[in-house]
Amino acid sequence: MNDFERILAGLRSAEVSFVIVGGVAATIHGSARLTSDVDVVYERSITNIERLVTAIAPLNPYLRGAPAGLPFRFDAETVRRGLNFTLITNAGPVDLLGEITGVGDYAAVFAASEVVSLYGATYRCINLDALIVAKRAAGRPKDLEAVAELELIRSEKPGRT
Amino acid sequence: MSGTPDPVVDAYKAGIDRTLLRENLKRSPEERLRALQELQAFAEELQRAGQALRERNQQ
Repeated sequence: MNDFERILAGLRSAEVSFVIVGGVAATIHGSARLTSDVDVVYERSITNIERLVTAIAPLNPYLRGAPAGLPFRFDAETVRRGLNFTLITNAGPVDLLGEITGVGDYAAVFAASEVVSLYGATYRCINLDALIVAKRAAGRPKDLEAVAELELIRSEKPGRT
Repeated sequence: MSGTPDPVVDAYKAGIDRTLLRENLKRSPEERLRALQELQAFAEELQRAGQALRERNQQ
């Protein structure tokens, strides 16, 4: 089972600049769909990448779906050379994204985020409008199904049509 | 940022239980995440039970 609190608290404790996106963001906005991974967009500065590694490395990350035994070292150099990482960790699946389709990099996602209170702390979560844009841009059948639900959620919120 | 109407998205909307969404929206974001974790645990238990059943049937 995914331990959302452990993952998010670890990122916060290491002072990582990140925004919650994906299925967990959809849940935060009211989605009833089942999702299993924590997706975050992280800022790509060297300092933040080092903080990201400090937060995630203790969770023993490994490339999700990769054959066992494949050489993989989760360090700042690996993150710097890559962009998006789909990982399995001791706390569950985690996707570390340098950017997301339809919205952009950390700065763009941050600009389209809002503050949410979770587990006694505050986090940045992509806002509902931007999440719909991202899901629509992703374009897979499961994303379009998510768009349908998110648009209904938007219509249920006060002051929205 | 609402986008143009999409017949595929509209078709999916017909199958969504709005009462479930309304109940979910009454919860706080943290309550929604805790409910998701409980649902994940339930789904994993169902998968384990299904796997055990398949193995028994193969014996």
